Amino acid sequence: MPKVSPPMILGATLVAIGAYAMSLNAQDRSEQPAIAALEANLNDERALFNAQVESDIDDDLLETGRLVAMGGSQAGGSGMACITCHGAEGQGDGSGAFPRLAGLPGWYMYKQLVDYASGERPNNVMSGVAQRLTEHEMEAVSAYYAAIDAPYRPVAGTVDAELLQWGGQLGAVGSAEKGIPACVNCHGPSGLGNPPSVPYLAGQYATYMTHQLQLWREGVRNNDAMNVMSSIASKMTDEDMRAVSEYYARVRPDVARMRTDATATD
Amino acid sequence: MAMRELPKTDVVIVGGGWTGLTAAYELAHAGQRCVILERGQPRHTATSFAGPEEHDELKYALRYGHMQDVKKETLTFRNSRDQQALPMRRLGSFLPGSGLGGAGIHWNGQIWRPLPSDLEMRSHYDARYGSQFIPEDLTVQDWGVTYDELEPHLDFFERICGAAGSAGNLNGETRPGGNPFEGARTSDYPNPPMKQPISNTLFGQAAERLGYNPFPMPSANVTAAYENPYGAQLHPCTYCGYCERFGCGYFAKADPIICVYDRIKDHENFEIRFGAQALRVEKSRDGKTATGVVYQDEDGVEVFQPADTVCLNAYALWNVHLMLVSGLGQPYDPETRQGTVGRNYSYQTIAAVDAFFDDEIVTNPFMGAGALGMVVDDFNGDNFDHSELGFVGGGYIACKQYHGRPISYQPVPDGTPKWGAEWKRVLRETYSRHGDLVIHGSSMSTPENYLDLDPTWTDAFGRPLLRMTFNFPENDRKMSDYVMNRALDIAREMDHVTSVSSVNLAREGADYSIVPYQTTHNVGGAVIGTDPTTSVVNRYGQMWDHHNVFVFGACLFPQNLGYNPTGPLMGLAYWTLDHMKRDYLKNPGPLMDA
Repeated sequence: MPKVSPPMILGATLVAIGAYAMSLNAQDRSEQPAIAALEANLNDERALFNAQVESDIDDDLLETGRLVAMGGSQAGGSGMACITCHGAEGQGDGSGAFPRLAGLPGWYMYKQLVDYASGERPNNVMSGVAQRLTEHEMEAVSAYYAAIDAPYRPVAGTVDAELLQWGGQLGAVGSAEKGIPACVNCHGPSGLGNPPSVPYLAGQYATYMTHQLQLWREGVRNNDAMNVMSSIASKMTDEDMRAVSEYYARVRPDVARMRTDATATD
Repeated sequence: MAMRELPKTDVVIVGGGWTGLTAAYELAHAGQRCVILERGQPRHTATSFAGPEEHDELKYALRYGHMQDVKKETLTFRNSRDQQALPMRRLGSFLPGSGLGGAGIHWNGQIWRPLPSDLEMRSHYDARYGSQFIPEDLTVQDWGVTYDELEPHLDFFERICGAAGSAGNLNGETRPGGNPFEGARTSDYPNPPMKQPISNTLFGQAAERLGYNPFPMPSANVTAAYENPYGAQLHPCTYCGYCERFGCGYFAKADPIICVYDRIKDHENFEIRFGAQALRVEKSRDGKTATGVVYQDEDGVEVFQPADTVCLNAYALWNVHLMLVSGLGQPYDPETRQGTVGRNYSYQTIAAVDAFFDDEIVTNPFMGAGALGMVVDDFNGDNFDHSELGFVGGGYIACKQYHGRPISYQPVPDGTPKWGAEWKRVLRETYSRHGDLVIHGSSMSTPENYLDLDPTWTDAFGRPLLRMTFNFPENDRKMSDYVMNRALDIAREMDHVTSVSSVNLAREGADYSIVPYQTTHNVGGAVIGTDPTTSVVNRYGQMWDHHNVFVFGACLFPQNLGYNPTGPLMGLAYWTLDHMKRDYLKNPGPLMDA
C-alpha cells in the first residue's frame, strides 16, 4: 500500500542527506545500473510495458540509452549529460529543480524529449540537449530511465500538516467548490502514474511539480494530448499547487520501496 | 393528508436532473422561489465520480451503482393486454438514475437535434406520401411545435454542454463534414468534433464510397477547455472509455451538476431537498389546478409543499406514474382509446453490426468516449424515400468506440464458442480488431402500447406500480431490419474487414424483451400536442387540465425519434421555460385554448 513518509523519518534523515549527497558524485559511473539489472526489472510485465516506446527493448537499446545518459550521441555528445542533473539512476540531483526520471513511463519521457526539441515544451536547458539527439537516442534514453528502479531520496524540509492534508484531499477527491478534478483521475491510484502517457506524481520533487503547475497555468507548458492540465491548473491557487506537490512528494509506491529508502539513506 | 405542511413556495419541482435543475435555474433568475424535491442523495462530479474508484465496472456498469433502487420503486411489464404483468425486480432494458443530476450523470453524451420533419411527422408523411401512407395501427402525430421554434433552445443547450461537432447546415448553407440532413442551425457547435479512432475512420471512408454522408457524432464529451453560458468550466475529454453508466470525474462530459447545479445552488431563490420522495400532486377542490406536492422526507415523514406552480421533472416513466397516482389528466383506456395519460408510450429500436478486422488493424477500444462515433444519417427520419418500403421512420447508423471495458467488451465473430479456451483464444485476437456499429432507430406509437397503474403490485410507499404494456409494432421491425441491412452493406465495404455479424433486438417474430439492456430512451405517455384529446400537455408543455402544472422530459415525445432524446427534450424544456417566464408567470392561466 502506498504510504506517506512519517515526519519522524524525515527528521531523522536530515543529517543523512548531507552524507548521501557527499557520497554521490553525479558523474560517478560506478553508480550506473548494470544492463543485467535493468533487464531483471523488465521481468515484471508492468515495468516492461512502462519502458516500451516504439520498438522492443533489447541490450543494444538499453546500452545506447546508458551511453546517451552519460552524454554520448551520434552528434558528438548531447552537450550536457543527463546524469549531470538527473543522476545515473534518474533520481534527480536532490535539489528538486530537476525531476526524478527513474521509472517514469518511457513513452512519456520520449514525448517530452520530442517536445523539448521542437519547442512544444519550452525549456532553455532541455531544448538544447534534446535537439542534439536522434529519434532513436531519445527512445533509447527514455527506455533506459524507465527501466530503472531506483531508491528515493529523502524528502527535504517540513511542511505544515494542514497543507499536506489539503494536498491529499485535492489529489484524492479534488474540490467541488473550485471545480478541480482529483489528480488520481488520470495519474492513477495514489498518483502512481498511468503509463504510457501519464507520469507518476508520487515521489516526484515538490518544487519541480509546483513549478510545472505554474507553467501549465501560464500556458508556457501546453504539451499534453488534450490540454487537460492547463484547464486544471488555471483553477488552482499557488497554495493549492504547493499543497498537492508537497503531498505527492511524500507518497511512496509501496512499503518495500520505503524500506529501500531507509537503507539508501543509512 | 400529509402530516406536516410547509409554507408555500412559488414553484415546486419534482426531480433534480437535467430538466429539473435547469427549470430551477431559469425560474429562480426570473424571481421565482424554487424548491426541488430529489428522491436521491447529493453527490458531486469532483468528489463522487473520480477515477480510479469510479472506473469500477462491476460496481457501476453491472451492479448499477448509479441507478434507481427497484426495491422502492419499479414497474410491471407485459407485452400485450392478454398477459399478466410482472414487476421488474432488477433493471434490464433501460436504466433510470437516482440522485443529484439524475440519469444526466450516466449518459453517453450523444447530443442531437430532431429533424424538422420529425416534429411534424404526420403532416409531413401525409403531404409527401398521401394520407393513407402511415399504417393504421400507428398513432403517429405532430408535436405541435416546429423545429424553427425550438432551434434557439436546442442551440442554447448545446452551448450549456459545450457540444463538440461539425455543422452540416449553417443558416441554410450545407457544409462539408457535417450532417447534410439536419435542420438549419443558427450557429456552429461551440467546440470542434472529437478525434476519431481507426475503426470509425474506416467506417466513414466506406460510407463515403457508398455515396452516404458520414460525419462525427455530436458530442457532449467536451473537446477543449470551455466555459458555458452559466459560467461552468468544462475540461477536455481524455477518452477514458467510462461514460455510459458512470459519472465523469474529469469535468469532460457535460452533466447537470457542473453545468447547472453548481451555478444555481447558492442563489437565494433556490432550494433542493434530498431524500425527498414525491408521492403525489395535490389538486384544488375544483380539480382545475394543482396546489402542491406531497413527499416523504428522509425521516419517513409525509410533508406537503404547497406551491403556485408545479413542475414535473422526473424521469419520463415516473412523471407519468406521478400523474396517474395523483389523478392529473385523464388516464388512457386502450378499450375505448379515450384519455391521454399513459397514451403513446414508445421506445427505441436497437440493432448492432460487428465488423472484425485483419491483423493490420489495432483498434485499442479502451480509448473511447460515449459519443465518439462516425455517423450516417441517410436512413434516419424521412431522409430517404419511403414510398416502396412499407414503413415510416428510420435511424442513424454509427460506428462507435465508446469503451473497451474488461467485463462487458468481449466481441467475437459468429461461430465462436460461448466460453472456454477457444473463446478466450479468439477474444484475445478480436478484442482490439473490432468495429462496433449500432443502428439507433425510431419507434412509433400504437394504441396498444401504453402505461397505466398495475392492479396487483404496489411500491414501497403503497402506491400502485406503473404498468408498461409494450411490443414493437410491425412497422418498427421492418424499419429496423431495413436500416440494419444498410449498416451491413457499409460494414462489408469497410477496408480490412474479415467477417461481419449482426443482431436486431427489434427483429420480426420475436417479442420485445425487457431483460437485455437496449437503451434508456423511454418516451411518451404524457405527450405534447395541440389537441387535448390526443395530448396531455399543450404545445408549451402545460397540462390541458391543470394550467399550473408543467411537464418536462421525454414523456412529451408523441413517438420516438431515431435520435437520443436528451438534446430534443432539453430544447423542449427551454422552450417551455421561455413561455413560462414570458407569458405564464405574469398572468397564470392556460397558454392555449383547449
